[in-house]
Amino acid sequence: MNSLITRLRSLPPASVVTFAVAGFLFLIFFVYPIGITLKEAFFGPDNTFTLEFVSMVFLDPLYLEGLINALKMAIFSTALAVAIALPLALIADRFIFPGKAILSSLVLIPLILPPFVGAIGVRHLLGKEGSFNTILESIGLVNAASPIDWLGAGGLAGVVVMNALHLYPIIFLNVTAALANLDPAMDEAAQNLGCTTWKRIIKITLPLIMPGVFAGCTIVFIWSFTELGVPLMFDYTRVTSVQIFHGLKDISGNPFPYALVTVMLASTILMYIVSKLLFGRSNFAVSGRASMAAAPKHLPRAQSFACTAAFSLVTFLAVLPHLGVVFVAFAGDWYNSVLPSEIGFSNFAEALGNEVTLSSIGNSITYAVLATIIAGIVGVAIAYIVVRTNIPGREALDAMAMLPLAVPGLVLAFGYLAMTREGQTFDFLVFPEAASQSNTGFLRLLGRMLGSIFSKVMDDGNPIVILVIAYAVRRLPYVVRSAAAGFQQTSVSLEEAARNLGASPWTAIRKITLPLIAANIIAGCLLAFSFAMLEVSDSLILAQQREHFPITKAIYSLFTSLGNGDQLAASLGTWAMLFLGITIVGAGILLGRKLGGLFRL
Amino acid sequence: MVSITIRSLSKRFGDTVALDSVSLTIEPGEMFFLLGPSGCGKTTLLRHIAGFYTPDAGKVLFDARDVTFVPAHKRNTAMMFQSYALWPHMSVAQNVAFGLEQRKADPENIERRVGEALDMVRLRKQANRKINQLSGGQQQRVALARALVVRPDCLLLDEPLSNLDARLRLDMRTEIRRICKEFGLTTVYVTHDQKEALAIADRLAILDEGKVVQGGTPRQIYRFPFSTRVASFLGETNMIRGVIESEVGTDKLWAVKTDFGQFWGRLTEKNWEPTKGDRVTVCVRPEAMRLADYAGARNTISGKLNHYMYLGDTAQTVLSGAEGQEIRVTELHPTGRAPDSDTELFASSAPEDTLILRR
Repeated sequence: MNSLITRLRSLPPASVVTFAVAGFLFLIFFVYPIGITLKEAFFGPDNTFTLEFVSMVFLDPLYLEGLINALKMAIFSTALAVAIALPLALIADRFIFPGKAILSSLVLIPLILPPFVGAIGVRHLLGKEGSFNTILESIGLVNAASPIDWLGAGGLAGVVVMNALHLYPIIFLNVTAALANLDPAMDEAAQNLGCTTWKRIIKITLPLIMPGVFAGCTIVFIWSFTELGVPLMFDYTRVTSVQIFHGLKDISGNPFPYALVTVMLASTILMYIVSKLLFGRSNFAVSGRASMAAAPKHLPRAQSFACTAAFSLVTFLAVLPHLGVVFVAFAGDWYNSVLPSEIGFSNFAEALGNEVTLSSIGNSITYAVLATIIAGIVGVAIAYIVVRTNIPGREALDAMAMLPLAVPGLVLAFGYLAMTREGQTFDFLVFPEAASQSNTGFLRLLGRMLGSIFSKVMDDGNPIVILVIAYAVRRLPYVVRSAAAGFQQTSVSLEEAARNLGASPWTAIRKITLPLIAANIIAGCLLAFSFAMLEVSDSLILAQQREHFPITKAIYSLFTSLGNGDQLAASLGTWAMLFLGITIVGAGILLGRKLGGLFRL
Repeated sequence: MVSITIRSLSKRFGDTVALDSVSLTIEPGEMFFLLGPSGCGKTTLLRHIAGFYTPDAGKVLFDARDVTFVPAHKRNTAMMFQSYALWPHMSVAQNVAFGLEQRKADPENIERRVGEALDMVRLRKQANRKINQLSGGQQQRVALARALVVRPDCLLLDEPLSNLDARLRLDMRTEIRRICKEFGLTTVYVTHDQKEALAIADRLAILDEGKVVQGGTPRQIYRFPFSTRVASFLGETNMIRGVIESEVGTDKLWAVKTDFGQFWGRLTEKNWEPTKGDRVTVCVRPEAMRLADYAGARNTISGKLNHYMYLGDTAQTVLSGAEGQEIRVTELHPTGRAPDSDTELFASSAPEDTLILRR
């Protein structure tokens, strides 16, 4: 007992409070939304446990088809991404070629380009009247009367290409990390015993880097399995994520969207478990660090230029959809021609004149700035506790802060929608007016009180609070990771020296540690900000009324509207990418080469 | 100037006992050394004095004031870290000024005192340099200036010289002592370098496995270690096993029977009255032994020459005794030639330089 008291006494009280607050917020905004989804999926109207709804998902041919299509989407996207990334990673690890430094950074660009926006471009490039067909027609390979639909299979091909071009950098990063940890002596030993180059790759290198490959594949697989924005833009409707999205309109009293989300979450968890079981233990590639650094080889001229060409081509292809978007934005008219036939700024002018676009830019900036501030403060606090204190359970806090990376955005967004529906415990976050007059439900008194406070500053149906929270929770891992890296690189004794000279713990952090890790924090926040600006699942699901639309929902709504909607969407997308470009370049300058580390498992 | 009193201080980290009921008193203005092998708890003890750790049990007192739970920033100690912990985003002058700013000194005063402190460590010209533009020795002096400029109640030094090369270390240790004495600072100095401790400590404490095994002046501890561990940690020593025979003479000397014959020696441990048959270790410092051509009546070891090392200021002769035991004899200012191999050699010690320690 006595030792417990001295133990507690030796813990910094501010950290204990922060720990408790972070844990509490995590319960409300992470565990609870998932919990409420599970509850609706497994409990009938009379509160009895039932497997009926979940089993219906597998029995209903439409839902089953959706799941199968989601699997197809995930498998093909992952396979294509591996096919692109693996050779590039091997080349980058082994050879020196012109422009290598810049190209191995450029090849990562697609990760930060919004695939949701790129989809507009792909449709113009690969569609029936798109550029690709026009090129083929002009050289006589395709009959203009019956053009080929390259988006094929109801859009599946387009979705897969877009996903793969978006996600291959994740595999590239994981594989290059695995290769860097590989002792070159293992390869040399095989060479010394007479093994040829190709055999060595197959027999030595690939087996050893498999854990890295699969770590990347798991992320890509889950990411594309639950992707919402891309299939939506390709009208690929018979897939689970889109079915959930369309099921949102009537989620009160309809258990099937909940059941779909539950199945999706369960499959995701299953995939993590399978990948951990299969590849978690055989992690020999990273078990021993390389005894010496690998020395990339110089190649004969022609071959080295081939490497340069391969990298350039992949980067070009990956950027092409977004170039297409820019063209669409500038185009007056773009059908049956390789490039737009007219170029002008009329779309931009019109887009800026449109009330939805203008308010959406303002909304997105507001949401993203607020979310970044929250994620920044909470993230830095969590990173500090995890790295600098010895509070019991801090490892759990760390894992908790990283979880939002693993749970599909769609699942969490759905949970937020479910928990803030009118009549639910947290409805005051979105419907303060209604909540302040409501009389039923758990914790109603608190809800009424908070509702009447909130209703002073916002109208019912304004998603700002829940959207900001959703953005902040989903982007928290980036801030935590980059701040934690900063704390780890900065010796504790620097802070202790300040306290020893009379600075209070808070002053020591403010004057010594924070300035030293400012670059890390700003970089993490910039990433959080730019991803929040182009967030898809939360935005599409939680923003219901036009005046509250963020950019992504505005793009979607313009895109699905008639007339020159897709061109307006493209010009809004171009603006968004410009924003993104500026913030990412800023983050890259601040964080240097460590930027890649944020996307590794 | 404060005195520092440590009372039965204990600290565990998980299953490891870092400090086991340590008690010490450090007098005002004293230069006190904590010495011991790595992992013995000396840095842990220093960090308790600084306030970075709170103990599981026990107290830390500055004069009569209990500071056990006073946070580090309210203790007015100044610590010099092993890594120096200089802030890379501040200049030399900003580093030195930091503690004064925390004490809300007025700007003119700060400027003057920073200048004085930098003069003291001869770094006034480098005031506006960044830390990474300084050499190791200069960084060490900035750290010292930063610690001293706040006029602390006590100065805490955590292996302050371990990152310097051997030559600079010699210069700096006398410099540190000079400055501490000039300021009249109570200083606690952690090191594992026994030469450093012997050279400049007023008193020192040897720690081992979280316990204070012996405290005293350098001379007391080196000459009269209480245990074989202390004897072997501080300097070299020859150890010969034996059993007590009887007290001899009037000088509190005791006779011990060993494989090498009888040894007369003195006891170091207070309050210990040996009886015949007690198992003991006879310890003799190599420099307290003399080579001789003949066997004496007692306190003499005979053996074959094992090897001979000429070190310039000294020479060490190593004998192989009857049981294969090695005995080292250090000769100061060696002028003669090396002994021939395979010759029978004798080494003897005076009874007052021969210590009898309990086994």
